[in-house]
Amino acid sequence: MNVNDDNLAELMARAQAGNAEAYRAVLTSCQRWLTGYYRGRIAPHQIDDLVQDTLISLHRKRATYDPSRPFLPWLAAIARYRWVDQLRRTYRANETELEDQFVADPVSNDITAKVSLARLLEQIPSKQAHVIRLVKIDGYSIKEAALRTGQTEPLVKVNIHRGLKKLAALCEKA
Amino acid sequence: MKSDFSIDALVTELAPVRPLAPREAWVAVAGATAVMTGVIAAGYGLRSDILAGAPDPIVVIRAGILLLLGIASTIAVTTSARPAIGQVSHGWRWALAAAALFPVTSMGLALAAGAFPMAVVKANSGPYCLALSGASAVLIGGLLVAWLRRGAPTAIDRVSWLTGLAAGSFGTFAYSLHCPSDTVHYIGLWYTLSIALIAGLARIIVPRLIRW
Repeated sequence: MNVNDDNLAELMARAQAGNAEAYRAVLTSCQRWLTGYYRGRIAPHQIDDLVQDTLISLHRKRATYDPSRPFLPWLAAIARYRWVDQLRRTYRANETELEDQFVADPVSNDITAKVSLARLLEQIPSKQAHVIRLVKIDGYSIKEAALRTGQTEPLVKVNIHRGLKKLAALCEKA
Repeated sequence: MKSDFSIDALVTELAPVRPLAPREAWVAVAGATAVMTGVIAAGYGLRSDILAGAPDPIVVIRAGILLLLGIASTIAVTTSARPAIGQVSHGWRWALAAAALFPVTSMGLALAAGAFPMAVVKANSGPYCLALSGASAVLIGGLLVAWLRRGAPTAIDRVSWLTGLAAGSFGTFAYSLHCPSDTVHYIGLWYTLSIALIAGLARIIVPRLIRW
């Protein structure tokens, strides 16, 4: 079925009224759209899980769609929310790890952070981006990062902390 | 991929839903504001000039600005409850700027006079202002949050403090009709403090209630 925003808006309105066939069409179209939306934003092996999470959110919050408005901006806002939420969880996990060990796992267990950070790092001060890259992506210790950048160790920690906060804020605006 | 997920399962769970209606939030907020205004009037009384039907102009102005700020903030909250890219209400900023004229004017007058009138700081009614405005805001904000939980706000922090701003503005409005003072310094200090405290608390408390 070839669907556009108008069709989706109409189908979703029928789905809100309980029409299962319309709802299936909406979900199938959304699944395709979301897969494309997340491609390039997160690691390929995580796309399916995030698409599913987003479809579940769509299901739970389907009453928030206003049938008099376009459908795709509503879907895009939910998709962005779930994406940012995933990034935030990743950053929080990284911050906790940083506080506990003050060193990153050289073999990062979450490629998501790398993919997203690479784009976002350009938007924060270079000193913060530099130490985040060294410690969080390249796996250097705080001490090594301090030696390489000329910053003191406490300053490296502060810059990482502040940088991660700014990245989270940037994600909110994305 | 999660093994327990399928579109079929979501379709099977489908039940009719009524689209989220901002009107319900407005009814709740307006009703709670009216109730708290009535409670404060019954318990503490209304200003004599209001009862006489000839309120001091500053009482009308401050009540109007508080209502405008509450309305603009509530519009922003109800707009944010339904996700949509590029759909943000900014009207609250102008209303907040108008409300900020009170503390700004107060500070300007204090600077010109060389001192802030300490009688305003020590006013017996000051703590009442905080307590009655706060109590009103708890009811108004609580109902707004209950409605918001059915929504899907995507800017959680922003919506949270805007909820506090709306509740604080309407709560302070409820108190303002009793408030014995009519000086710019009093409004600039106690009303500002009241609204700022409520908005700040909402910024801390509300996110955990509305995150989804």
